[in-house]
Amino acid sequence: MIITYMFYLLSFLAIMFGLMVVLSKNPVHSVLYLVLTFFAIAGHYVLLNAQFLAAVHIIVYAGAIMVLFLYIIMMLNLNKEAEPHKSLWIKASAAVAAGSLLVVLVASIKGTVAITPSNEFNPNIGLIENLGQTLFKDYLLPFEVSSVLLLAAMVGAVMLAKKSIK
Amino acid sequence: MKALILLSSLGVIALLAEIFSFKKLIYPIVLLGLVLAFILNMFDWDTNQLYFKMMQTDNYAIAFTSLIIVISFLWFIMAEGFFKEESNQSDHFALVLFALVGAVIMVSYTNMAMLFLGIEILSIPMYILAGSNKSDVLSNEAAFKYLIMGAFATGFLLFGITLIYGATGSFDLTEIATVVSTNTAISSIFYVGVLLMLIGMSFKVSAAPFHFWAPDVYQGAPTVITAFMATIVKTAAFAAFLKLFHTTFSSLGETWMHIVWVMAALTLLVGNITAAIQTSTKRMLAYSSVAHAGYMLLALLANNSFSNSAILFYATAYSIASIATFCIVSIVANAKGSDVVDSFNGLAKSNPLLAFVMTIALLSLAGIPPTAGFFAKYYIFTSAFTAGNAGLVLIAIIASLVGVYYYFRIIIAMFFKENTNNQPLEVTINHKLLLIVIAVAIILLGLFPESIISLL
Repeated sequence: MIITYMFYLLSFLAIMFGLMVVLSKNPVHSVLYLVLTFFAIAGHYVLLNAQFLAAVHIIVYAGAIMVLFLYIIMMLNLNKEAEPHKSLWIKASAAVAAGSLLVVLVASIKGTVAITPSNEFNPNIGLIENLGQTLFKDYLLPFEVSSVLLLAAMVGAVMLAKKSIK
Repeated sequence: MKALILLSSLGVIALLAEIFSFKKLIYPIVLLGLVLAFILNMFDWDTNQLYFKMMQTDNYAIAFTSLIIVISFLWFIMAEGFFKEESNQSDHFALVLFALVGAVIMVSYTNMAMLFLGIEILSIPMYILAGSNKSDVLSNEAAFKYLIMGAFATGFLLFGITLIYGATGSFDLTEIATVVSTNTAISSIFYVGVLLMLIGMSFKVSAAPFHFWAPDVYQGAPTVITAFMATIVKTAAFAAFLKLFHTTFSSLGETWMHIVWVMAALTLLVGNITAAIQTSTKRMLAYSSVAHAGYMLLALLANNSFSNSAILFYATAYSIASIATFCIVSIVANAKGSDVVDSFNGLAKSNPLLAFVMTIALLSLAGIPPTAGFFAKYYIFTSAFTAGNAGLVLIAIIASLVGVYYYFRIIIAMFFKENTNNQPLEVTINHKLLLIVIAVAIILLGLFPESIISLL
């Protein structure tokens, strides 16, 4: 029972902080709200008994990526309202497009038949041992292939950053 | 799979070349490696192996992998100047080869996780290479725009994959297909998932109305990278698109077919009509590449046994002709300092070879016999016609008439206008050979289209 209440509380917090990210004027505040959103989502992981994922989520997102975000915002000095004024047409069309997507999503969730998971939910699925089993057995090839992705991204970052020597 | 391993190792070798200073040798090593990858890949023909339930080397995958390797071989010869720059040489090689790895994954995946990885491995080097001309503002803009829009589209794709996983409990294409065909009541979030994946994939193939990034990115990026994006990226994206919607979502035709119908019509009209009013040839070719995505959508929509071979042939004909046009545009633009249509004035007199190959390539893109482009369009239209999309075929024919108009603008400029700017063109011997080979290939494919059509 308490888990259900926790779920609703965390979901409410995640959605509210998510809205605050978009709505707050100050970019630094946006980033801080994003950190809170990540913590709320990490709470969901804990509820699913996936403590390792929760820890990784906080370390990677709230720790590394958020610090990077804040650092870049500080360097860009976005405190002034430098954002160019969008025309009414763009605002209206964006609202219509996003609104249609919202209607489709809400309608689809409303029409969802109760999802019966094809295999019984294993409460230990999120533990680090099971995670490792899945990653290195079923998803071995994607795991290996993602090394190419990381290498490509790293090479690209170095290429963009270094001075061209004449 | 063999091609995948070989291409990844070639990328790493290119990086090692920087450390052990054998940079001069990378170019021949890469070309040899591509030939080897092609041969190894062809050995897998008819074997139909499944690797870790993640990748499958069926004939569809092998045919598209071979096509990608052949186009990239031609592209490497076209792009030799791009690899001359000393300081970034091995980075450029490595990034292009890693992009090819992504393209190979995209044509042979059997799992959504692999599809996502393939798209990202192809896209991230492209974002960087689009901005590889660091001192050029347009190039920076292209890279930035491509990154932001591409990341946004990937978000749609991932959201779609998540919803599909939620409804079916699987990332595996065949398992999803079984759930879809056996279950009468699929959860409604599944349909939203299909639509979101459709949006993500349409962005990658630059189909209207998700094409707005294409002209700016194609124009701003260095011309060789534009050629890469217009040929290899588009072929791989279409192969992935087709595989997903023909194997997994095929039984849900009525969900996505109306949307694809509208998208195909829009892409054909927007691409062709906007291309007709451009003055810059590079931008015109960008819009024409959007329009060609529209023709290929016709075969996707047909969803019959004929569409696979129709798209394979169309991608072949379109890609080799595009390599030739981009090669010539970059030669002319480099010499005259501008890529407007008037730069081509009098090219037939000053450099008959370039004008001749350009004419053949443009005729092929316009779809005029006896070039490969004619049969490419013919097969696409037949496939769409047998599926009962006569209305769309009519729109496509009208759109391709508009296409003839703007392709002929360049041909008329080359043959019937006087040259005012007598800048001599520098054409290397490799480029000459490449252009002759492509011209012969376009004609041969036009004479013997069965050689490729009968493969799939």
